[in-house]
Amino acid sequence: MKQVDPYRVTIRGATKRYGALAALDSFDLTIEPGSFTVLLGPSGSGKSTLIRSLAGIERLDEGSIYFGDRQIAGDRFHVAPERRELAMVFQDYALWPHMTASENVAYALKRRDLPASESVRRTNEALDRVGLSTKGANYPFQLSGGEQQRVALARAIVGRPSLLLFDEPLSNLDADLRERLRVEIATLTREIGATACYITHDQSEAFALADNIGVLRSGKLQQIAKPEEIYRNPANRFVASFTGISGSFLGSVESISATTTIVRVGENAITARSSENLQPGSLVDVLIRPSATSMVGDGLNTLPAVVLDVAYRGRGYEHVVECELGVISGVFAPQSVARGSRVHIYIDPENCLAFQSEREVTADLTTPNFAVIK
Amino acid sequence: MALDTAPLVRDRVPFSSLPLTLAKKVNRIRITPMFVFWTLILFILVIPIVLFLSVAFSPRLMSQGNQWFTFSSFKPVFSGAYGTALMHSLTLGIVASLGATAIALSMAWLVLRTDTPARFLWNGTIFALFLAPSYLIALGWQRLFEQRGVLEIMGLHIEPIRNLLYGPVGIALVLMVKGLPFAYLVIANAMRGLGEEFEQAVRVHGGSRIAAFKIMASLLTPSLFSAMAIVFAEAISDFGVASTLSSIGHFSVATYQLYQGINSIPVNFPVSAATSITLLSLVLLAIFAQNRALRGRSFRTLSGRTRPATLTRLSLFVKASTSSYIVVLLLITLGIPIFGAVSASMLEGLGSLLSHYSINFSNYTRVFHSRFLRNPLIYSTQMSLITATIAVAIATIASKVLTSIKPSKSKKFVDFFLLAAVALPGIVFAIGYIFTYNLRFINDLGLHLYGTSFLLALAYSANALPSTSRSLVGNMGQIQESMMDAARVHGSKPLRAWLDVTMPLIARPLLIAWLLTFSGTLLELPVSELLYPPGSPPVAVGIELSLAGFDYGGGTAIEILSILWALVVVGIAFFIFNRFAPPGWKRLGRLR
Repeated sequence: MKQVDPYRVTIRGATKRYGALAALDSFDLTIEPGSFTVLLGPSGSGKSTLIRSLAGIERLDEGSIYFGDRQIAGDRFHVAPERRELAMVFQDYALWPHMTASENVAYALKRRDLPASESVRRTNEALDRVGLSTKGANYPFQLSGGEQQRVALARAIVGRPSLLLFDEPLSNLDADLRERLRVEIATLTREIGATACYITHDQSEAFALADNIGVLRSGKLQQIAKPEEIYRNPANRFVASFTGISGSFLGSVESISATTTIVRVGENAITARSSENLQPGSLVDVLIRPSATSMVGDGLNTLPAVVLDVAYRGRGYEHVVECELGVISGVFAPQSVARGSRVHIYIDPENCLAFQSEREVTADLTTPNFAVIK
Repeated sequence: MALDTAPLVRDRVPFSSLPLTLAKKVNRIRITPMFVFWTLILFILVIPIVLFLSVAFSPRLMSQGNQWFTFSSFKPVFSGAYGTALMHSLTLGIVASLGATAIALSMAWLVLRTDTPARFLWNGTIFALFLAPSYLIALGWQRLFEQRGVLEIMGLHIEPIRNLLYGPVGIALVLMVKGLPFAYLVIANAMRGLGEEFEQAVRVHGGSRIAAFKIMASLLTPSLFSAMAIVFAEAISDFGVASTLSSIGHFSVATYQLYQGINSIPVNFPVSAATSITLLSLVLLAIFAQNRALRGRSFRTLSGRTRPATLTRLSLFVKASTSSYIVVLLLITLGIPIFGAVSASMLEGLGSLLSHYSINFSNYTRVFHSRFLRNPLIYSTQMSLITATIAVAIATIASKVLTSIKPSKSKKFVDFFLLAAVALPGIVFAIGYIFTYNLRFINDLGLHLYGTSFLLALAYSANALPSTSRSLVGNMGQIQESMMDAARVHGSKPLRAWLDVTMPLIARPLLIAWLLTFSGTLLELPVSELLYPPGSPPVAVGIELSLAGFDYGGGTAIEILSILWALVVVGIAFFIFNRFAPPGWKRLGRLR
């Protein structure tokens, strides 16, 4: 499929309010041309409002949006969706039930004013590309959920738009289908070379798809960076916790070196990393990435624990363990360890992150059940 | 690259003669579909209703008395003839609502949950009853049972039945029949959504059949209350029975009292307005009572997991009994009125003092040859075509406003006025129009609309608008907004997107709404009676005029021809739709 000419998307000071609630709050973002950017955030973080504002379905109250050098939204200025030259895949597919799969796909070519034969050729090519060349005459209700979303994907790419928007397109599909369609989305989007903006609340989806991940919270961008950077060096506690942790503890900073921070949690000292300016005695949240834990013998940075649960994951076993600090999930081991067994958990300092705690503590921090958290 | 910063609203030349702020506001007004919609809503719905009803409290406001604010107009409403009529209406409303709801519940269960053989006859009957105005049902009965009517000509002695029919029993019966389709559709829809899992849950936890039935009845409570409220509102607003059985039987009801009040000289508009407000309040009271009764009892029984109920297999004896029940009901609701009307239309000399009658088609021949009999049908057809088109166009926009997921003041405003207008009896609507469009300041504005076909079309449209809008709201509400968004994002302007996406999705409901409005207007009585232009009577008035002139045969022949004509139009419309609509349009709503 032919490559398109992608453009940079620039959002500056975007604000959108629904009554007293600010869905977007002075939001700034730049999406590089041809990149695949995933915006990750929980419900109510403003990601849907943002993508709908990019599409032109919502009007910003303040701020501006540029596609390349062309302003498409600003103060009292709003380019209609049909004039933005983009395409979008919707969460609920938004296929038109009175049109066949072919008609749904061909609809996006109307604005191209192509000869009928060319329109048919491109429609068939797009359907073929998503593996539905034999289903063109079917109505949406005659297709499965996955096939319907494929039609929506074909409709989005057939017009070769410079910008592709994805509004949680996989959230209505089962796990297996989601994985297969995710690969198709990643491949197809990069094949046509469009700039892509994809929103989701699923961190594994975000890491699998993105060139860049932006994490949103309460209408503000918390951090945008490459997936590896987000995972290794999250900007704050929220970004870290929303991009995957298997446990978290409250502790106080014991000592700080150039690369590590020693945190006292109960009777144990845990070595962690921190990008924040912590001081000895600071109250911190220690967040443990799933990849940080493993079952080992007694040693440095290990904690004694009891196995609560075990789940077979194909390549090995994931355990849920309880140590004196609390519960840690996703502890991997190639062999199963029986429930109730006493084990030692190693915590890799590289994937153990300390952040200044926002919690208020009123009791002794040195005993296991030390904290009364408000 | 230059930035595309063209303003969305183009600058206009200011009106120099207007104050600056007003000029700015006028400048901002754009003639959009929504602007036309709001202007129409204002002039055909809000202004006539508000102006007329306000006279009850402030006669001087519209030069109808000396007092700026008074409740004195309400005194006559609760005493004398008005008071009696109001009590009669209230009693009839309660009896009709209870009766219709009970029958509808039994029918819904028989048709949807059992294998009784006669159940297949019912759905057609419901739609026929929906289309038939109450005065046509009443007239059918009347032709059979009146003095020197069809049955007496057949040599039957029916005086005791006539005495019953021409009194509260007959009126309540017809109101019950007319309310039956409303009650049935509400209850049947609720029963369709009630899967068998609730019944099964009772049985597997040790409950008997009776316990299961009790649970089912509790789950249906919201729909039973709704059905009662709707039938009550329909019954006390009805003018068709009031102008036929009620007037002949001298059993006055509120709507007929209003009609008589408006035909007396001088017309006392403040008292008419006070009576209208009282009627309106009764209807709103019923809706309020329904809401109160349902507080916390709105059971959500329909979900993606709902399992369709299975039919109860009846024994042979029960099958025979229930089928007989259905057949008797069919005879009472449709069979007898149809037989009455058809036999009367074929009796030459009915209504005259002749002693010999013959059965032939001479009454029909007269309709085709006499312009006095024929013209009302032609005129009503023209008016119905215009009205159905206007009402459906406005109703489409209204239903779009009502189903918008964004809360807005305009949504609340439309909702309130359409609900109020549903509760407003047709006769009150018509009086509101007479009052408003005869006001001096309206005439001074150059709007000489009273007595014109234009005003009649507006009144018909306004009268049909609430029910037409409500009929479209359900379908409009089913359309996911993302489908329109998808069309816009993929290159279509708003109108194009609406035509490509929304219109096909609601094509069938639009057609049905258009046909219901067309049929309803073709046979409409109260607005026609009070607002028809001199010399151009619509069908309902034509029938009344013929009957008033003792041409019972001619009157019933127009009646039968009008109904047949409505059915022909319905048939043609569905034929065209099924033949020429794109395949995708026709698939929606069908089973796989």
